[in-house]
Amino acid sequence: MKSVSLSFGTFQALSDVSVNFNKGELVGLVGDNGAGKTTLIRILSGLYTPTSGEVYFEGQRITRFRPRLAIDLGIETIQQTVGLCDNLSVARNYYLGREPVKRLLGVIPVLDFAKMRDASNRVIRNFGLRESVNVDDEMALLSGGEGQSFKIGRAVDFRNKVIIMDEPTNHLSVRERAHVNDLALQMRDQGLLVIYITHDIFQVHRLANRIVILENGHKVIDTARDAMSAEALEQIIRDGGREGSKE
Amino acid sequence: MGNSPIRNLWQRQSMRRFFIRPEAMIIIGTALLFVIFAVIDTRGWFSFFTIRNITRFTAILGLIAIGETLLILVKEIDLSVGSVYGLVAIAYISFEPSLGLQLAFVAALLVGATIGLLNALLVLRGKLSSMIVTLGGLFFYRGVIYVTTGGTVASFTKETTGQWFVQLFGGNWILGLENGVGWFLLAVIVFSLILFRTPYGNHLLAIGGNAVSAASRGVNVTMVKTIAFVICSVLAGLAGIITVSDLPSTNVTIGQDVELEAIAAAVIGGVLLSGGRGSILGAALGTYFLTALRSELITLGAPPLWYIAFVGFVLVFAAVVNSLIQRRLAAGPSA
Repeated sequence: MKSVSLSFGTFQALSDVSVNFNKGELVGLVGDNGAGKTTLIRILSGLYTPTSGEVYFEGQRITRFRPRLAIDLGIETIQQTVGLCDNLSVARNYYLGREPVKRLLGVIPVLDFAKMRDASNRVIRNFGLRESVNVDDEMALLSGGEGQSFKIGRAVDFRNKVIIMDEPTNHLSVRERAHVNDLALQMRDQGLLVIYITHDIFQVHRLANRIVILENGHKVIDTARDAMSAEALEQIIRDGGREGSKE
Repeated sequence: MGNSPIRNLWQRQSMRRFFIRPEAMIIIGTALLFVIFAVIDTRGWFSFFTIRNITRFTAILGLIAIGETLLILVKEIDLSVGSVYGLVAIAYISFEPSLGLQLAFVAALLVGATIGLLNALLVLRGKLSSMIVTLGGLFFYRGVIYVTTGGTVASFTKETTGQWFVQLFGGNWILGLENGVGWFLLAVIVFSLILFRTPYGNHLLAIGGNAVSAASRGVNVTMVKTIAFVICSVLAGLAGIITVSDLPSTNVTIGQDVELEAIAAAVIGGVLLSGGRGSILGAALGTYFLTALRSELITLGAPPLWYIAFVGFVLVFAAVVNSLIQRRLAAGPSA
């Protein structure tokens, strides 16, 4: 992203932010409420169009910002509250938006339930969901952590290139949190770009290769993990990013 | 003894699977209604006259209820279907002298489709509530009927009524039942398949469950809802065409209050107004339930106005029972 800005009316949500994200990296995106984290990822996932600036993906300039395009490019955002429909079965949720079809009588496209069950079954077994969870169960039966694991599993299975994790461990139990963080590291090791958004600098400091701090829509820090301690970074956030100007 | 806990579990599982179906209660309700009427009015209930009447009105109201169901599933509603039903029916009759039957049929349904598209445009682009937009439509299209007809509607001539194309929708070719019943059954099958077996149906259900999540997976919410609005208006129009194909004459009030009955039928059939849960079969049975209830109350000599009170009672009762059952059984593992 090159000097990207986005304003809503008079409110400047992002000002002149430039960031490079590389594959095989786990980047911690940190900042207080209203820092611009969510705005930044909504641009990456095609929900917002920047007011100015340029966004490139694999060398290509992106001009149209549409969720569908982000999905087709392999950018997937995992949010705590979004991405699953509680009233649908696990199998239906898995392929939502890209349902596999087979042709009935050679013409009529109908859902390929066998394929839907197969793929979702693989994911719920590989990503640590309870044995008793069935692919025909409604999503509402899964716990918060299981839902997160399922979303991550789905994101990996669809061969995405970029996984944006928005506060992925909120409201999770200790064990579920560890599991989700393990999955984040696994994805990075598989060569994906993982952007990990959180309030919790200590948590992400353990995981990330690089930490980016936003404050009031500005990028204040962009540092390799090893270059700064979690305590020093936390101090910067606490001071409202003032330390960042020294860089 | 050894296998009895397993059998117990199986029984409970299959029970649960039945009860989490949105149409579970209406299947039981319809069966009860059927048995009760069969017992207290054996001769009348099984008479050809009764069967023919009930199926005929079920078909007409049911087609509208199917369209309404698709919209309720995505948390929208169409209050204009009664007026659209009338407008399309009258358009069919009015276009026929100049266009001929087949073209008039297509043109009349296009009127319906255009109204659906306009509803969708106002609701989705204009970001207005579908309740308000289609309430406006209810008045507006009824007004259009009054203005364009001047209060009196011509009917098909005897010769026209005899033509195969009119008979296709208004005749009674199979077992003496109205052909409209056949069209209705076909619609039940087709739209059940669409709802539960196609990507489009999956998107409808997903949007009703959680529109933001559906959109985040790349589902085009605007497109899916637009199609639902158009289908709803076209089905209402088709119901109108079936009605006038059968009845030689009609009048400007045709279809009044039908929208509320169609919504009631869908809700009684287990379609939740909160979206994302419901079935075409449920809506169809809900329609049958209401129609049979009305017909039998009249036969049994209850004052006709009682029917309205009954509908109100059944509606609230069904809504309470459905939401209780679904909440208890859909959430939490089987206990």
